[in-house]
Parts: sequence; C-alpha cells; structure tokens
Amino acid sequence: MRTKNMETGEDDLCKNNWGSASILDYEMAREDEEEEPNLHVFKASSSCQDNNNNGGQASVDFLQGVKAQAWDPRTMLCNLSFMEHKIHELQGLVHLILGRNGQLQDEQRQLVTADLTSIIIQLISTAGSLLPSVKHHNMSTTAPGSAFHEMKNEDDAEEGENLPPGSYEIKQLEKEEILAPHTNFCTICGKGFKRDANLRMHMRGHGDEYKTPAALAKPTKETVPGSEQMLVKRYSCPFPGCKRNKDHKKFQPLKTILCVKNHYKRTHCDKSFTCSRCHTKKFSVIADLKTHEKHCGKNKWLCSCGTTFSRKDKLFGHIALFQGHTPAIPLEETKPSAAASSQRGSSGCGNNNNNAGMVSFNLGSATNANQETSQPCFMDGKISFEESFSPLSSDTCNFGGFPRSIFDDSFQMLISSACGCSPINGGDGSVSDTSV
Amino acid sequence: MSHSILSALSEDLLVRVYGFLDPPCRKTWRLVSREFHRVDSLSRTSIRILRVEFLPALLFKYPNLSSLDLSVCPKLDDDAVLRIALDGAVSTSRLKSLNLSRATAVRARGLETLARLCRALERVDVSHCWAFGDREAAALSVAAGLRELKMDKCLSLSDVGLARIVVGCSKLNKISLKWCMEISDLGIDLLCKKCKDLKSLDVSYLKITNDSVRSIALLPKLEVLDMVSCPLIDDAGLHYLENGSPSLKEIDVTRCDRHLKTLWIDGARVSDSSLLTLTSSCRALTELGVSRCLDVTDIGMMGLARNCSNLKALNLACCGFVTDAAISAVAQSCLNLESLQLESCHLITEKGLQSLGCYSKRLQELDLTDCDGVNDRGLEYISKCSNLIRLKLGLCANISDKGIFHIGSKCSKLLELDLYRCAGFGDDGLAAISRGCKSLNRLILSYCGELTDAGAEKIRQLEHLTHLELRGIKNITGTGLSAIARGCKKLAYLDLKQCENIDDSGFWALAYFSRNLRQINLCNCSVSDTALCMLMSNLSRVQDVDLVHLNRVTVEGFEFALRACCNRLKKLKLLAPLRFLLSSELLEVLHARGCRIRWD
Repeated sequence: MRTKNMETGEDDLCKNNWGSASILDYEMAREDEEEEPNLHVFKASSSCQDNNNNGGQASVDFLQGVKAQAWDPRTMLCNLSFMEHKIHELQGLVHLILGRNGQLQDEQRQLVTADLTSIIIQLISTAGSLLPSVKHHNMSTTAPGSAFHEMKNEDDAEEGENLPPGSYEIKQLEKEEILAPHTNFCTICGKGFKRDANLRMHMRGHGDEYKTPAALAKPTKETVPGSEQMLVKRYSCPFPGCKRNKDHKKFQPLKTILCVKNHYKRTHCDKSFTCSRCHTKKFSVIADLKTHEKHCGKNKWLCSCGTTFSRKDKLFGHIALFQGHTPAIPLEETKPSAAASSQRGSSGCGNNNNNAGMVSFNLGSATNANQETSQPCFMDGKISFEESFSPLSSDTCNFGGFPRSIFDDSFQMLISSACGCSPINGGDGSVSDTSV
Repeated sequence: MSHSILSALSEDLLVRVYGFLDPPCRKTWRLVSREFHRVDSLSRTSIRILRVEFLPALLFKYPNLSSLDLSVCPKLDDDAVLRIALDGAVSTSRLKSLNLSRATAVRARGLETLARLCRALERVDVSHCWAFGDREAAALSVAAGLRELKMDKCLSLSDVGLARIVVGCSKLNKISLKWCMEISDLGIDLLCKKCKDLKSLDVSYLKITNDSVRSIALLPKLEVLDMVSCPLIDDAGLHYLENGSPSLKEIDVTRCDRHLKTLWIDGARVSDSSLLTLTSSCRALTELGVSRCLDVTDIGMMGLARNCSNLKALNLACCGFVTDAAISAVAQSCLNLESLQLESCHLITEKGLQSLGCYSKRLQELDLTDCDGVNDRGLEYISKCSNLIRLKLGLCANISDKGIFHIGSKCSKLLELDLYRCAGFGDDGLAAISRGCKSLNRLILSYCGELTDAGAEKIRQLEHLTHLELRGIKNITGTGLSAIARGCKKLAYLDLKQCENIDDSGFWALAYFSRNLRQINLCNCSVSDTALCMLMSNLSRVQDVDLVHLNRVTVEGFEFALRACCNRLKKLKLLAPLRFLLSSELLEVLHARGCRIRWD
C-alpha cells in the first residue's frame, strides 16, 4: 500500500498537518455539523473517486479531503472570516462579563468560561492552519520520484541532525497541545485517538466511503516539489530556557511531534509513573516505564550506594573502584520456613533458658553437672509430647529440655536396672582441656 | 606443712609455674587451693566450650580469655549468642580468636552480635558451616580488625558475601576459601584488589581460572598459596605467579598441573621442569609432594636424595614405580625425614623398610597403606623408628600378630594407628598394642575380622582413645562394646557400621558411659527402638549420626530418637523413605537448628 502510494506520489498531508489543522477540523466539524453535514463526505468521496479513476494522480484520503479546503484561497478566506467572527463573539462575551460586572450566576459563569475557552482554542488552531495552507498550495504537482528522494534525505538528516539555522521551519506547540491525550480526532463524532491508524479504523463506522483501501491506507509522508520551495519542519519546545526552545543560544530543534511530546514530558513534567516492581524508579513517559519494567528486577546486582547493575562483573568492577562500597544483599532472601522455625526454636530456647536452663545451671554447678537440665524440666513436665512439638504452642514448647527430661530419667533408671552399672560420671565436665 | 610452702609463693611465681603445665595438669592445679584456682582463672587464655549453658559463666570466670572454641558446642545458636550479648557481666573485649567451625545454627544475627561484641577479634573460623552464606558473611564483616579467616566448605558463600568480607575486613592477611564452591574469579579478583596485606591464601578446589591467578600474582605480600585441585588452572596461570609474587614462599598446586602433582617449596618459585632439575635447583627443599606422579621413578628419587638432604616430608603416594632402592637412598641421605607417605607403592618390601628403620630415627609419620610388600619382618624394622606418632598400615594383608607385636612393644609414642582391613592379626596383636601404646588416641580396626570381644576388652585399656573404627567386625558383641564404652571415656568418634552382633546391652553401656561421643555410625547395626532412643537422648554431645539400614528400628523409634537430640545434631544420614515418614515438625526443627540431613 505504502509503495503504491509513494509511486503515485501521494502526499501525506494529514501527517504533517494534523498538529495544526486537526483541531481546527475537529472544531469546525462540530460547528458545521448541522449546517452542511454532507459537505465533507461529498468531498471525500468525490476525491476518492477521482483518485480511483485517475490512478496516477494524487490519492487523497478523506481527511485530506477535508483539509483540501486549506489549500484553497477560498478556504483561507473562510478561515479568516471564521476567525473574525469568533473574535467578535469573544468580544461580545467579554463585554457581557464586564457589563454584568462579575455578578454572574454559577451556571452562567460556567457557560461563559466554556465558551471563552472553546473560542480561544478555535482561534488559535485556525490561525495556525493558515500557515501550512500557504505552504502546500501546489502539492498535487509533486513528481513521483522525488517523494522517495525527499524521504531519503530526511532519513539521512535523522542520523546527525545538523541543519543550518534557517534551513528549516520552526514550529512551537503549546503546552496544552503537547499534553493532550489525543492527537487525532474524528471529524464526524469528535472522538479522539492517539494514533491515526486507530482513527482510520474508527472512521469505517461512519460510512462505506471510509472503507476503501485508499481511505484506509497509511498516509505517506508529505513530499514537497523541490525542497528549496518547501522548508523542512522542525519543532521547538515551548519551555523557556530549554535547549530545545527556539530562543536558546544553542537551539537544537526536535524532529517530530512525538519527539516534542516525549521531550516535554521527560524534561519539564513530573515523573508520575512509578515502577511497580522496584517502587523507586519514576518516569513521565509510559513507554519509558514499560521499557524499564521489562528489565527491572534483572538488575539484581545492587551496590550499597544504591546503584544497580545488570551484570555481576560490572558491580564488582564498581566495588573495586570505590572505597567502602559493598554489594547489597537482597532482603527477600530469608526463607520464610527457616525464619518461622528459628523463631519457634528461639522461643523454645528462650523459655528453656529463662525457666529451666539457668536454674538448672545453678543446680548443676552446685550438685551434679550431669543432671543439669533434666531435673527442673521434669519438675514442670506437664507438657505433653504432642504439645511440645505443635507449632501453635510455641511458648510452651521446649526442645532443649523436654525430650531429655523424659528420656534421661526413664533411661537412666532403665540402664541401672538393666545392666546393673553404678552411675559413673562420664567425664562430662563443661570444659575440655586445650593447649593454652 | 605443704600449705605454708605453697602460700609462700607469690602470685606471679604461681603464674610462671602455671605456664609450664600442660592442659591435663592444669585441671588438677585448679583443685589445689583457692589461690591456685584464682591463678588458673586469671591466666587461662584459651577455652573450649562443650555446653552452651555454661558459656556466660565461663566467660565471666575467665576474664583474660583470648581464644574461644565453640566448635564442639552443639546447642550453640543465635539465641544463645544474643543472651551472652545481653548479659552485661561478660567481658569479651579481649577475645581475639573465635572458632565457630560447624556451628551451623549460628546465623547472621548471631554472627553480627558476636562480631560487635568481640571488638578485638582477629581470627575467626567458620569452616564447615554449610549454612554460612552471604548474609552471614555480611554480618561477620562488621569485625573490621579481622586478620585470619577460615571459611572452608561454606557452601552457600558466593562472591557477594566474599565481597562484603573483603570490603569490611581489609586488614585480612590470611584467608581460606577451600571448597567454597560458589566463589568465582570475580570474588578472587576483588579479594586481591582490596586486601593487599594478604600473606596466605587458600583457594583449593575452587572453579577459578588463570584470571584469578593473574590477580593473585599481584598481591605484594603473599607468602603461602594453596591451589589444590583447581582443574581450570594450567601452566599459563602458573607463569603469572612466576613473574609476580615477590615474596611467595610456599605453593601447593596439587592436582592442578599435569606434570607436577604436589609441590611444597621453600624459598623457590614454581617451575614446571622435571624432578631432577627441580631438586638440583632447590637444595633447601624441606617438603616435597609428588603424589600421583606415575612418571616418578628411582632415578628422580635418587637425584632428590642427593640434592635435598634437608627433606623433612616426602609424599610419594601412588608412585608405583618407586622401589626399595629409592627409599634406601632417601633414608640414608635425608636423616631429618619426619613424614613419609608411601601409599600404594607396591614395589616396596622389607628391604626399604630396613633402611628406614636404620637411618630415619626422626620419622614421626609413616603411611604404608596398600603396600603389598609390607610383612611382619618389615614391621619389625619399622618398629625401630621409636619416634613414630602416626602409622598407617591399612590394606596390608600380609601382617600378623607377630608384626603388630613389634610395633606395640617399641613404638610407645604412637598416637595414631590405622590397621584397616589387616585381616591377618587378631586379639593377641591388639593386646600388644594396648600394652605398649598407651597414649594411642586414634585406632582404626575396620574389617579386621579376627577380632573378638577379647580384643575389645584390650581396647578398653586405651584410655586416651578418641577415634575408634570397628566397622564390619562381626565377632564383637554387646559385651565387647560395653567394655570399650566403660574404658574409653574420651571416645568422640565411633564407627560401628555392620557390627551386626552387638546387642542392646552394648548400646546401653555406650549410652551411659560414652558421654563424649560426637560422631557415631550405626549403619546396619541391630539396635532396637529403645536402645536408639536412649543413645540419642543420653549422648548429649552427639552431632553427627549415621542411621542407615537399622532393621530393628521402627519409624516411631526414629521419630522419638531424633526428637530427643534434634537440638544438637549437625549432620544426619537417614534412609530416603524416612523423609516422608518422619513428622514435618521434626524435620523443620532439625533444619532450623542447622542440621544437614543426607538421605541415602
């Protein structure tokens, strides 16, 4: 489709124009909906037919059909008179406010402000649309080959954007425009879309004329008949002082609308998207967040200074370089089972120590070291076997003393009765001798 | 009255006298009087704790301790450590050396507490703590003054943990990373970059490559390097060492290299040349290991004998072509020889042993395992080496009571005797041993099928025995085992595998008398439920148990027995099906206490 369009020298008016014209179209469409509902449709369909009939000529899709007005001096005139009309309207509104001297009721005030905003937006967009309409007035004469040539040039320029000042035309979008969620609007119902392809898909619902292959085709880049006539378009950031702002000494223009949008969001907006995995990294462009989330967590090599690395050797190189930096050990490494059981064990041991162990130690040192835990544990040996091991009764559980208490006593009796051995201290001193 | 004489001695004199005593005498010393006891308390610098309950009191009692050994303290865990920390009376600020080997229940929390508590800590041994991982390493790195660190077989330790230690303890001058299998080139590289004071490094059995050797070679003060069995390091790596490492004195590259198997060299660099050129250039060689070098023959050994008369230790294990001639030459010229290992040198006969007996009067260690040529006459010659401390005669099937008798009658200093599968001798030989070698502490009698209860009765007389292997002796019954248990009170290791005829009476006696037992192997024994429970509950120091193929023990028996000792076991071997039959609580507790179970 694309190649065909290029061969036929079809121009992507929409692509280059939407920034300025689409809102106008949108607003106009709304305005004029009742007055001449069939106008666009008619124009679009007629142009489509044209296109189909004369295959070599510029194929114009429906949007271009709408915008075709813009090339027309009549349309320009229309636009200008529209602006004039709007300015009058605006004046009327402001007079109204002045006349009432701020004593407007809530509903009225809302109405007025809404009107004001819409008129101002219409004014701005219409005014903006005047410029391209001057520029593109004779595009239909584009030679088929030059389109490709032009595009190639653009591609080259993309590599090292080094256009001499003045060789391109600078456009500056306003903040609201940049931050608007949608950039493509349906001329019929006004619904907004982020992508023109989605809009084209949507348009199919508005009638069969939008279902033709030409209407659905991706509009190719706008080509210019002879680049000396047509300036390359570059964008400026509306933020004063920014290097991408046209007033900056070392101004570096932005290439596309998308660049403007991303640049503005990244540099001049709050980073409102937080990574759901690490909860530390923040982004202002969703795509950046998604890219990060793809790799987040894979940067498991973390330094004590907070820097993360995707590779272990990079981390170790970093540590070798800086004094006092150490690799951080991730927190979630602790196994829950071990933690739980150690806790249980600790409570048991703590119990053992506080109640039995310490007492027994005193007893043991006083009387017989062999019996150290058995006696006191057996004294308070109300604990049943099952109870001592059930996780629920962790406070009564006594791994240290309990089993021994049973076994020690019973078996010591057992032994002495069985083998008739006299109890002998089995060298059970607490300290074994080592060389000093 | 003796009382007056003793009281006349001033305290500093008493301290000096005390300094000359060896450990068993010190035990008696403290019982003499209060004054003596006080001197003991103040002078004692090292202690080995067996029961964690006594730890705070002992630390309080001995304020000047500098070395604390907790490696045989099975109940030690994080909570015990924390309790010590909370006990304000305990002074640990002088403690310099801490042995936590096999203390698997001490984890990061405990280690950090210890590291903070003992501010002067310089030496730590955490070897064989399989649970010692990165987190524990991070905890230990708090001890910034650490100089020596032994981390052998810390299986969970990775480069990250090592990096923590390396950054935290930059004054390290000795570190052992043997069998820390997770450590890679990156960790070693960082170690060498951060710890410039390193003098001794052990990287044996690691999967490190020549890159590590290149980093190691940059260490300016390295003196000792152990690289036993690093299969990825080859000659190219060793060349780095040749060029770097100005102060390298010792290097052990066992099984790293195809040509040189083991090399302990004093004052020389590694070289890859043949034994002859090596020995001719290194005349000061005192230790040489060429084990498993099949190409080493008499010619090389005679050259060695000619050149290196200062040789003290020689390892010729598995050098099958070495004959009596080489041994004679070595014995005649190397009069200082103390250790000689001749394992699997099948060509050696009584002639070689004769010259050893004549010349090598200083010989302390002799390994003749699997030397078919050793017979009774050979043993008679060997017995002339009266300084022998360690003698290994395993698999020497040609020796009988007569040869053993010679050993028993003349080698009175013997501490270790290995008679593994020496089927030719019986109770009479053992009687000679028990009469003559009173200080024997390690005795291996596995598969000596002739031995009976009468022999066991003789073993009883060896009071210092700590390590006894009786594997596969079918003629020993309960009577024999109870005799051993009553006699050898110091027994710490006992292997009774396949002693099928020992009945419960023997195990009862064992449970009652052998309170020092740390490791026991009961595989294929006919121990009953009750006897096993009794053993496990009574033997309060048992840490390592093998309980495979106990036909008379039921699942309940296992459950009860293991519950009785679950808080002190460190290693356990069980039949695999028991994994599903034992209660999960028990297994959880065992795991939490740092016990490693091997399912057979």
